Amino acid sequence: MHDAAAHDDSKGQYFWVWGALLVLTAVEVWLGYRQIFAPVRMLEALMILSVIKSALIVGYFMHLKFEIALMRWMIVISVVGCFIIMYFFFFPDADRILHLGVK
Amino acid sequence: MADATLQHDAAVGHGLAGAYEAPLFGAYSKKVGMWLFLASDSLTFGALLFAFSYNRISNPAWPTPFAVESITNATIMTACLLSSSLTMVLGVLAARRGDRAWTRNWLLGTMAFGTAFIVLHGLEWTHLIDKGMTPFANPWAPSVPQFGGTFFTLTGMHMLHVTIGVIYLGVIAFRKWFLPVLAAIWIAGYFLIPADNVFHYGIHALGIGLIVSAIILFLKPKVYDAHDVEVSGLYWHFVDLVWMFIFPLVYLMSTKI
Amino acid sequence: MATPATIHAHAPQGFIRKYIFSLDHKVIGMQYFFLALTAVFVGMFLSLLMRIHMVWPAAVLPLVGEIKPETYLSLLTMHGTIMVFFVLTTAPQGGFGNYFLPIQIGAPDMAFPVLNMLSFWTTFVAFVVIIAAFFVTGGAPLHGWTGYPPLSAVQSAGPGEGLGADLWITSIAIFCIASLMGALNFITTTLDLRAKGMSLMRMPLTVWSWFITAILGLLAFGVLLSAGILLLMDRNLGTSFYVPLIVVNGQVLGHKGGSPLLWQHLFWFFGHPEVYIAILPGMGVTSQILSTFSRKPIFGYKAMVYAMLSIGLFGFMVWGHHMFMSGMSPYSAFAFSILTMCIGVPSAIKTFNWLGTMHKGRIRFQTPMLYAIGFVSLFVSGGLSGPFLAQPVLDIQLHDTYFVVGHFHLIMGVAAIFGIFAATYYWFPKMFGRMMNETLGRIHFFITLAGTYAIFMPMHYLGMAGQTRRYSQFTEVAYQAKLIPLQTFITYAAIITISAQLIFVINLFWSMFKGPKASDNPWQSTTLEWTTATPPPHDNFGGVTPVVNHGPYEYAVPGAPRDYVMQTDPVSASAH
Repeated sequence: MHDAAAHDDSKGQYFWVWGALLVLTAVEVWLGYRQIFAPVRMLEALMILSVIKSALIVGYFMHLKFEIALMRWMIVISVVGCFIIMYFFFFPDADRILHLGVK
Repeated sequence: MADATLQHDAAVGHGLAGAYEAPLFGAYSKKVGMWLFLASDSLTFGALLFAFSYNRISNPAWPTPFAVESITNATIMTACLLSSSLTMVLGVLAARRGDRAWTRNWLLGTMAFGTAFIVLHGLEWTHLIDKGMTPFANPWAPSVPQFGGTFFTLTGMHMLHVTIGVIYLGVIAFRKWFLPVLAAIWIAGYFLIPADNVFHYGIHALGIGLIVSAIILFLKPKVYDAHDVEVSGLYWHFVDLVWMFIFPLVYLMSTKI
Repeated sequence: MATPATIHAHAPQGFIRKYIFSLDHKVIGMQYFFLALTAVFVGMFLSLLMRIHMVWPAAVLPLVGEIKPETYLSLLTMHGTIMVFFVLTTAPQGGFGNYFLPIQIGAPDMAFPVLNMLSFWTTFVAFVVIIAAFFVTGGAPLHGWTGYPPLSAVQSAGPGEGLGADLWITSIAIFCIASLMGALNFITTTLDLRAKGMSLMRMPLTVWSWFITAILGLLAFGVLLSAGILLLMDRNLGTSFYVPLIVVNGQVLGHKGGSPLLWQHLFWFFGHPEVYIAILPGMGVTSQILSTFSRKPIFGYKAMVYAMLSIGLFGFMVWGHHMFMSGMSPYSAFAFSILTMCIGVPSAIKTFNWLGTMHKGRIRFQTPMLYAIGFVSLFVSGGLSGPFLAQPVLDIQLHDTYFVVGHFHLIMGVAAIFGIFAATYYWFPKMFGRMMNETLGRIHFFITLAGTYAIFMPMHYLGMAGQTRRYSQFTEVAYQAKLIPLQTFITYAAIITISAQLIFVINLFWSMFKGPKASDNPWQSTTLEWTTATPPPHDNFGGVTPVVNHGPYEYAVPGAPRDYVMQTDPVSASAH
């Protein structure tokens, strides 16, 4: 049985990832209070941090980093692709509602 | 189910060497199946998050009511989930070594963190409902009923996933011996939670979980191996991952300064 | 080939395990097939009632009585929902896909047999729930299969919008879960259980089409599930996701600030891939049959695969062409319009490849072939009106008219149904061990084809003349009243065509018990299902796993002993 995820069982890296996730969470909370960016910028900063966090979770905890390339890219691209398409068509409309004043 | 099924699953799960083409994703079927489910589920959650963001963009008077205690609570919850992911991955490693005892211990730890998350979140919900927040109204911005609606939908859906996850891990770790524990928690919860609390009824999710896991254990009575632990781990980490988006979007973007 | 001794070695013996809660993908496929057959007759009956009410509004029908205008709206809602979900999604994918995907790739069963069984029974529950909507207080919902809010989101909006609409949404949500289970099973099976030698580019195009359909279903149904949950909350918990400030019967409701557009986006993000979920399996079956009955390799196998993949990909980027009239951002409409036109390219590639397959072939005009040709014909006639509707400027005129009704019925409705018919006539010998009656099949085909065009072609003219869809009668508006003769003609055509379907049913059930025995490979096809016994044994290949040496459509190979080379034939059988 070929097991692509067999060669990554060094415990240490998981503790590192866990620590990094906690630190990133702390940074997010800190950002939430400091409001050093304008609201839109802060949203972007939080989202970037969340994407990094989820990449860590998916890559290490869920072992996707250690799966074969086809599986890695097929799954990530199909899901992320759907979100990107939705992003481009959903939010202009939400924004339009705001500007056209329709309630 | 007859021998045929079990043999069948063995053949399917672990690949009859040589009889088939190499699996395209290089992983055993159950893992691929779980990944596909997670891809689909991430779109389910993604659609909810898009609905949340859509409503938020089109309603500029969105309230920002979460005070320090709420944020502290949510941060502790986040830490719980992240730590549960660590114990989960250690459980997967133990299972891969064939160490049953420690697999069970780590899974138990994961379930403990998950339960802590649910309890903290339940207290938070109760607190907010006491303040007058409902799916259709909130005391902070009467013109934006979506605030309560999106909050309860997103976090409720996530809480449901965490609950399913805890039951799932319990079944993987303890099999049929988990069922009486689940039943006890269900009945105790029903009688201990006051009748005016939403979780007085929400606890019945455990009852449904009890029935479903009993059916599954009846249909496929087997000893769960390292693969099953890994697959359950995938689900658990995914639940963790979803919270990484809900926490900043719902809580941190609505922080009361 | 299996010997009888090994065939039933592991097969479950009890009636319940063998035929009801079976784990065998073949039985489950059959269950899906008969569920869809039941559903299609319910759906057809509803459309018959609609047609009758439209031209004879005062008619009193036996059993049904007089149809009221609001009942007409219930009928169209349930017709659309049952047809789209329980026929066009269920029969080609759940039915034939379940039965033949594992056999065609050389697998003993699906990757997850228990999940497969649960998936069918969940679908069954969804069907029961949606049928229940007819019998509750207020009757079935009025909001059409698209369920646009605020009509669908407000309990007081109409007689069917109470419990009936709740049941409708619940049924859809259950169906989503069932489809997710099915889809991930199909994908995993295709990825992991291909027999030795069955490389991706040796898979029959049917397998490709089921595989791509499953991917679309996996990604699309999750979104519909969320949308449905939010709609249920709007209806029952008073949230305002989809409902703006609204006045019903002079009463201001408690909702505010929501956006009906949000539902349309979420729904059509699912809804457009759903169109391809319905039609792609039909394309696969048509390719398979055209190649077999023209005795020629499929023209441009790889082009067919890539065309299906790109149709699937584009399917996720074009949902907004259903929303040109919704007040969506005009910039989005521009992008959606261009992306929609792009789908014409892979569709044309497929069409010309089908024609190329038939070109100079030694065509055998048997019933499956007739239906496959009918599919191509309908696909072209329905497809050509697509680019009209893809342009916002034209869509402003044609939106919500009979032009749209004619368009989507031809291409998504009847074309997919023709795919199902073709598949039924083609695979019936393998599924039931007997041949269907050829004469009845031909009569059924010609009446259905002529009837289909007689019903749906005039609708294009009605639409261009401005006849709006979802109106129960046209007598009140002068210019619409002038079109009633054409509507009457359509109704007569519909009555004849629907009656002709009884020929199919008679043929199906008569042949099941009385038809001549079929050989293992009556059509002289090349794919794996024709190498095994008829009907296939419990584990499909009687304990052995086939080894694949050839591509799926090797007909008329020069130097080969026969005019076709089975996929399992030894390498020397063809002159490479």
